[in-house]
This record gives sequence, structure tokens and C-alpha cells, in this order.
Amino acid sequence: MNTTTLNTIIQIIHYLFFSYAFLAIFSYVVLSIISAFETVDYFKKNSFVNYKKILSSNIAPSISIIAPAYNESLNIVENVRSLLSNHYANYDVIIVNDGSKDNSLELLIKAYDLVKTNYLINPQLKTQPLRKGVFKSTNPAFEKLIVVDKENGGKADALNMGLNISNSKYVACIDVDCLLLEDALQKMVKPFLEITDKKVVATGGVIRIANNSIIKEGKLMEVNLPNKLIERAQILEYLRSFLLGRMAWSRLNGLLVISGAFGMFHKKIAIEIGGYDTSTVGEDMEIIVRMRRHLEEQKVNYKVAYIPDPLCWTEAPDNYKIFVSQRNRWTRGTIEVLRKHRKLAFNPNYRNLGILSYPYWLIFERLAPVVEVIGIIYFGILLALREVKWDYALAFFILAYLFTTLLSLGAIYSEELTYHQYKKKGTGFKLILISLLEPFVLHPFVLYAAVRGNLDYFFNKKKKWGEMTRKGMGNINK
Amino acid sequence: MLNLETFKILQNYFQQLPIELKFVWVLSFILTVFAIIFTFYLKILRNSLRKKEALTIKYQKEYEDLLLSFLFEEIENNELSNKQNQFIKTIENEINNNFKRKIIVETLLKLKNEVSGEIETAIQDIYLKSNLKEHAYKQLKSKKWDKVANGIKEFTKFKVKEAYPEIKKLIKYPKKEVRKEVELYLVSLFHFEGLEFLNDLKISLSEWDQIELLEELQKLDNQEIPDITVWLNSKNESVVSFSLKLAKIYNKYETVETLLKLLNHKNQKIRLQVIDVLTHLQVFDAKDILKNSFKKRSQEEKIAIFKMFENICEPSDEDFIVENTTNSNFEIQYLAIKMLKEINEKAFNYLLKNQNKFYNKELLKFVQNN
Repeated sequence: MNTTTLNTIIQIIHYLFFSYAFLAIFSYVVLSIISAFETVDYFKKNSFVNYKKILSSNIAPSISIIAPAYNESLNIVENVRSLLSNHYANYDVIIVNDGSKDNSLELLIKAYDLVKTNYLINPQLKTQPLRKGVFKSTNPAFEKLIVVDKENGGKADALNMGLNISNSKYVACIDVDCLLLEDALQKMVKPFLEITDKKVVATGGVIRIANNSIIKEGKLMEVNLPNKLIERAQILEYLRSFLLGRMAWSRLNGLLVISGAFGMFHKKIAIEIGGYDTSTVGEDMEIIVRMRRHLEEQKVNYKVAYIPDPLCWTEAPDNYKIFVSQRNRWTRGTIEVLRKHRKLAFNPNYRNLGILSYPYWLIFERLAPVVEVIGIIYFGILLALREVKWDYALAFFILAYLFTTLLSLGAIYSEELTYHQYKKKGTGFKLILISLLEPFVLHPFVLYAAVRGNLDYFFNKKKKWGEMTRKGMGNINK
Repeated sequence: MLNLETFKILQNYFQQLPIELKFVWVLSFILTVFAIIFTFYLKILRNSLRKKEALTIKYQKEYEDLLLSFLFEEIENNELSNKQNQFIKTIENEINNNFKRKIIVETLLKLKNEVSGEIETAIQDIYLKSNLKEHAYKQLKSKKWDKVANGIKEFTKFKVKEAYPEIKKLIKYPKKEVRKEVELYLVSLFHFEGLEFLNDLKISLSEWDQIELLEELQKLDNQEIPDITVWLNSKNESVVSFSLKLAKIYNKYETVETLLKLLNHKNQKIRLQVIDVLTHLQVFDAKDILKNSFKKRSQEEKIAIFKMFENICEPSDEDFIVENTTNSNFEIQYLAIKMLKEINEKAFNYLLKNQNKFYNKELLKFVQNN
């Protein structure tokens, strides 16, 4: 290969990297603008909503909260109390104890006066069998509570058991360690009842990070910014994702994922498509993609809605080991889902799903870390060959850094103008500081986790959920 | 600091750069400026939000104290007009400021919701005699939908009936939030008569709107509901759905004949709702119609029919029930077997002894033990 050919190849590679980066930046800008419009619109409309009426209405549709629990003895009693204190007339809480090895069930039995009951389960979805059975409370104060004790089958299997047990029209699937605000169900069910020109099949909620916030008796008393950089950086990351990203995808009716920590579904459709997939670690994304695929094939005019209000608070990893494990799983989940539904890719028969949402996820979510790693390797090769054009390298690095920072500042702005959760003096400065530091304190680990996720997916098929040690919501401010 | 010499070096460096690098540096410069502006403005924004929050609390307390002292003094001394006028003048000066007007209206509403009788009427008078009402009228003329909706909302809360001609014109407003406020105004102030807008409603009434209207209606003292047959026969399916809810809540037995006709409505959701209302009203006449058309109906309707029979089944329904004890649908099979046990235990025991592959054993065991 002569020098001219080599130079041409290098030029092409440079233009490919440049085009990818330009497209990514362009998409983020467009999504942010759409989000801004959607947020303003949501706020205006929401100021005319009277949630109190639905709260007390007997004709409000029934909702089941399904919360799978595995070895959650640390905080399960508190968390269930939080779920039982929701302000909604017509709902029940189904806790699925998924073969826990600890004393979660015994704690629940004692705290809520549970007794084993005869409960006929409609086996619409195949699940692992019951272990000790179905329990209900003898205390009328806890009549909304159902506890199911079953053999371990994983989160998806536990959610499927919840779907079998539920008698409600809608199901809210949540992580048992999440803290739901009292008005969460009213707000989440609204799109199902409000939108008349489309069939709403699912609603996604925002997940906020509760580390260092004060929680008492299952209620969020005070929102605080955590102390560790890794926790703060995740707050910024969540703000970007939920306030700038998903809000825009909701407007485009292109949401591909509803967080497994909090989402509401039309139960009949969830069952019709076969419930959660037990073979993937990305079951939350998979059920939405499958649901959308099914509805596209049925030519149904549908919508996956999104509520930007901070209704669900959770504990984020506070150390890099657990963080990497979590993100590794997310990466594997994304790969599994995109591979399983590869038929959708660039397929105009699936409208927005095939030509917009799926390609976006594939190119800018799935492939982003791969492209980045290739870029780093390529840079290393150029470095070894002393072929780095430093003026280019520096200019592009600074541009990328500035853009990331500006996007984070945009997310902080959006938060301040809408929910303004971090009210304490000095917090604004800390948020700006973390937006400057995040590319160095979090992004390398996100990238590392994505690489590990890819390697594990292709070479370590046995790996499933990975480790997620929790302190418990009541203890995360300690 | 950047001296002239350094600046010239940078300028020369920039000028000799290739075009793409020039573009990147210019863009970086713009982004840097934006980032700096954003950072400083964030500080200003947070301060202003804090200040606004503190001011809101301050004014709320101020207006609340002022209003309360006025209201209670008024009742004790019975010197209504002078003090009322004086108070109204005080707030008239304040309401030219949008921020303060919003707080005044909120304070009036808050207190109005907490009291009743003469005090409530006095608050109402303050609203009507001050310029607040005029501001709300101005909002109705606004080109912004949220202001229009806000104006209607205010008139609803303060029960301003004379705004009816202006508000009625907005019933076909393009934005649904405005239409909803109009509907709530009509129902809150004119009660069941206000539902007349349903007669020629072309746009769909969402489930959410229906719940709001029904909750509003159930708060009324007078629960005498007019004839709903016209709405049950409406071409607008959401109106039919709404009137079916009315039929259920207000036990409209006189609509049974129309309800039975609606069992053949083209929309399955309506048919399901009709079965539900008939179940609630325990209409025995519906049984034969439903039994005869059972096979033609959708799975969901079949389940709804069995749920209906659960409450009103009789020994004469045994053949129909037995026929469905082997139904492939879990819910139907369960309800059929359960009803069979209730109306003819011998037949149920016979079924237990002669189980075949069409029966769900778990289900049979459950019915046997319960």
C-alpha cells in the first residue's frame, strides 16, 4: 500500500469519526430543543389538572403495584409501608418474594399480620411455582396488600407472577426499594385516561436519586445532594437522560425504554404479548420494544407516554465497583434486546419505531462505546506512529468537552426551571462543578462498564444480574 | 492578561489554520461564552427562584391576615359596605401586578374553600366587586390558551354565572384544556342543566374529563338527574360512555330498554360497559338476550357476562353454565364451575368425579375447597 492510499484511508477514517460525532451532537441538540418545548407544554397543561378528583373517585380505574423482592430484608417493611401510603382510591400492592434466602417473608408476616390464603392464580404467564403461597393481612388497615412467596426465577419471572395475580386494569411495576411519592399513581395513570386519539399502553416515570436525602417512615422529607462525586455525577446523568432525552422521545412517540424501577402498563396488553422476557437482563426495555413491535404489527395507533415529575426516588450505586456492575448489566440488556428485535432496524413497516427509535438506540446508545473505544485505540496507534496532529486532537477534545458540559448545564437549567428539587444554597455551584468534572469522574467508568458488558455478552454468557448491594433507603443519608 | 503580542501570535496561528479547525475553534469559543453566561445566569436564576418563593409566602400571609381580619370584623360589627369598599380599594392597587394578583386570587380561593355561609359569600363579593373579575374577562379574550383556561377556571371557582355567554362561546375551542374548563364551568354552576353541551358534542370526552365531571356532579345537593336517553343514543361514543356511567351511578332503571338495545352497539367498549351497568342494575331480562348471543360475543364480553351471572344466576341457567364449565378461558371456566356448585352441588360433585382434560385441576380443587 503506497503512502497516498494510506493517507486517503486515514482521511476517510477521520471523516467517519467526525461525521459520527457531528450526528451525535446534532441529535442531542435536537432532542434538547424538543424536550424544552415538551416540558413547557406539559407544565402549562398540568397547571389545569385537578388530581384530587381522581384521587377520591370510585370510578377511577384499578391499579396494582407489583414489586418483586429478592433478599430485601433490610428495608422491606419500610418500603411496603411507603407503597401502601399512596393517594389513590382504587389500588393494591403485590409484593412478590422471589425465593429470597433471607427473612423478608417472616418480617412482612410479622409487620403486616399476614396469613396464608387460598388464592386462585390465573396462570396466563408461565412462572416459577409458589413456595409458601399467597398471603393477605388480617388487619383491615393493610387490606390492599398481597404478598406472594415463590421459587426464585429472577425479576422478570417475579413480575410475571405479579401480572398473573393482579385483578387490575393497570399495573405499576416498580423496584421494591424505590420510594414512590404519594401522588405517583394519580399522575402515572393520567395519560391512559386522558389521551383519546391513541391507545396508551404504557407510561414511564422519572427516576431520581435519593442518596443523602432524608427519608422518614417511607416519605421523602428533604432532598439533598449527595457527598460523593460518583453519586453527584449520576444525578447529573439522570437529569440529562430524563429531562432532556426521554421527554423528547415521548414527544416523538419513540420511547424504547421505561425504567424497570417505575413504569405503568396496560395489563391486558402486557399479558397478550407474553409478559416479561425471563431470558434477558434488559427485561424493562425488552417488554416495551416487544409491546411496540406487536402493536405496530397489529396496526394499532398507540402511545408510550412519559411523566417528567419526580415521582420515584431510588438509591444509586455509591462506589465504582457496584456502578460498573450495574452499567455492565444495562449494556448487556441493550445488546440482547436490540439483537432479539433486529428485524425492526431501518424497517419502514414499523414506522417511527423502525426508522427512528431503533436506529437511534443502535447507533448512539449501543455503538457509542464501541466507536469510542475504536477511537481511543486508533489514537493510540497514531500516538505510537507519531502521527497525531496535536492541533486537531486538542481542538476536537476541547469542543467535545465543552459540548458535554453545556448539555449538562442545559439539564441543570431544565431542572431549576421545572422542579427545582435541590433548593439549598451552594447546591447550584456544586451542580455546575460536577458538570465540569463528570467527563473525568464518571464517563471513563461508563465506558469501561460498557466494554466489560460487551465482552461479558459475547464471552461470558453465564453472567446474569451481577452485584447490587444496597444500604436501604432509610440509611442512604448516613 | 492577554497582551498584544500574544494576541497577535494567536491571530496569526488562527489565520493559518485549515478551515475545519477554524470552525472548531470558533464553535468552541461560542460554546465557552454560552457556558460562562449559563453559569452566571444559573446563579441569578436560583436566587430569583428563592426570592420568588419567599415573596410568595410573605404575600400569601399578608393577604391572608388582611382578609381574615376584615372578614371577622365585618361580621361582628355588621359594617359591611365601608370596610368592604376600603379593602377592595387596597387590593385593587395590588392586582395590577400579575404576580400579586395571582397570589390574591389563590388566597381568596384558599379561604373560600375553608369557610362557608356568610364568610364565603363575603369572599365571593370581594372578588365580584374588585377588578379581579375584569381581569378574568380580559383573560378570556387572550390569544394564549392557558390564559383563557385560567380565566374560565377563576369564574368557575368564584361561581360567576354572568360570564356564561362569554364562556359558552368557547365550548368548541381547539385546545382540549380550555374545553375541559368550559365543561367544568357549566357543570359546576348549572349542575345537570350544564350537561346540555353533551347534546351536540362532536369531540371525544376523555375518561379523565368524565371522571372530573362525575365527581363534580356527585358533590351537588340536588341529585335529580334529567333524562339521559338522548345521550345514550348519541353518535359520539364518549357521550354514550359518559351517560352509561351516569346510568350506573344514579341507578337509572328507566333506561333499561335503551341499555338492552346498546348491547348491540358497534363499539366493544360500550357493549362491555352496558353489560356492567346491567349487572349493577341486576336486570334479569338481559340474561336471555346475552345467553342467546353468547357465542357471537368477544372473549371480554363473555367474561363480563359470566361476571354478571355470578350475581344473578338461577337454577334455570344450569344448561348454559354446564356448557361453559369446559370453556378454554380460565375466568369463564372458574365462574361457570363456581356457579354450578352454588346452584346444583350434585352436578358439581358429578363433574369432580368425571374430570377430563378440559378441566383445570387446580381450579376445580380451589372451587371445591372454597
